[in-house]
Amino acid sequence: MQIFPFFLKGLWMTVLISGASLILGTLLGFLLGMLRSRKNRLVNPLIGFFVDVMRGTPFIVQVFIVFFIFPEFGIQLEAFTAAVLAMTIMGSAFICEIVTAGILAVPKGQWEASSSSGLNILQQLRFVILPQAMKTILPPLVGQYVLLIKDSSVVSAIGVVELTRVGWLTVVRIPEGLMVFSLVGALYFAISYPLIRISNSLERKLTVNRVSL
Amino acid sequence: MIKFKNVNKWFGSLHVLNDINLQVSAGEVVVVCGPSGSGKSTLIRCINRLERIQKGELFVDGMPLHDSTINLTKLRAEIGFVFQQFHLYPHLSVLENVTLAPIHVRKMKKKEAEALAMEKLERVGLADKATAHPEQLSGGQQQRVAIARGLAMSPKILLFDEPTSALDPEMIGEVLAVMVKLAQEGMTMCVVTHEMGFARQVAHRVIFMDEGKIIETGKPDQFFDNPQSDRAAMFISKILKH
Repeated sequence: MQIFPFFLKGLWMTVLISGASLILGTLLGFLLGMLRSRKNRLVNPLIGFFVDVMRGTPFIVQVFIVFFIFPEFGIQLEAFTAAVLAMTIMGSAFICEIVTAGILAVPKGQWEASSSSGLNILQQLRFVILPQAMKTILPPLVGQYVLLIKDSSVVSAIGVVELTRVGWLTVVRIPEGLMVFSLVGALYFAISYPLIRISNSLERKLTVNRVSL
Repeated sequence: MIKFKNVNKWFGSLHVLNDINLQVSAGEVVVVCGPSGSGKSTLIRCINRLERIQKGELFVDGMPLHDSTINLTKLRAEIGFVFQQFHLYPHLSVLENVTLAPIHVRKMKKKEAEALAMEKLERVGLADKATAHPEQLSGGQQQRVAIARGLAMSPKILLFDEPTSALDPEMIGEVLAVMVKLAQEGMTMCVVTHEMGFARQVAHRVIFMDEGKIIETGKPDQFFDNPQSDRAAMFISKILKH
């Protein structure tokens, strides 16, 4: 068996699942975060409960629920789709919290000034609030991406042949277990490390900016 | 232009506006003063509905603000608001601060909005700072940009909430000079301020508030030289001391 192409395939699947769920999770997370920052008496507790449930249950259990329990309600998903869905939902919960915190960190006066000049709420968010909130949001957001990419290894449990699964499948066939999982680890690191560096440098750059204000 | 009719508002158990009756006509300059906590800021924040009234009626430019179905952005586009803390947008240049609302609310073309903004910046004496960012400006300059930002919407009413209270003494004059000019040009203005000089020079009326009520209304000279109520007299003697 050709080991190397098999690993590349696994790596590609990891990138695909992570990429898709990061994009979708970011969109959903921003939407939820913007809604939550409005502090609506009906919507806020609902989102809060969703976030707490997502944060308070193991990701592997969430993946099992999507893959094994959803079908009982007629939602039959392929392993890949189930993986992306589970990761999107979990990611959106964490990203929601980051976005909410970032929006709430923008001084109230910015809302008052922009609404006073007649901007509607979407224009306020787009042109005034979010650009300022991004300073607070970006560093932890990129950090969260790293965590999510690593969490994608969990979906190997439902049979998605991503990087970790490739490790399992390989190690039962050849005796060099240490080599196999070192390679798995190294490949995860290869994806995560650039993001860790980006997160760190964003943190440094944006905090310096903040001080000079 | 502005009409308060038995307006009441509470913050929890605190009665911040107590049966306010007040009318401001077009072109009038009204100064609102009073001790802190007297409800004067709340009063003018009600006029563009940054605060909502709970009882009574309030009409601004013909729109009933006690009615929750009115088009709020349309109302606010017609009213400029200048804050004590300026609240310029720190991520935008001076020019972008001024053009933001004309472009997105008035749907002006960018070029057109920029020409308009430059004209307003010229008026507050800051055309040369158009490309600067707010944090590069002094407090007085920031407040003048904030006034230009309000003017760019060609508002029917300008509201000022203690516009000079956050400024160093040597910068107060430059902001007041701009406000005096606007008043003389016939802008309808409601100004919360303790700047007696400004009030005497351009205000048509001074309104004195305490504990949520309008205690006294009068022409500036009459109010400052010969207040009718003890509370107003005490207040004036206090602001005269410094």
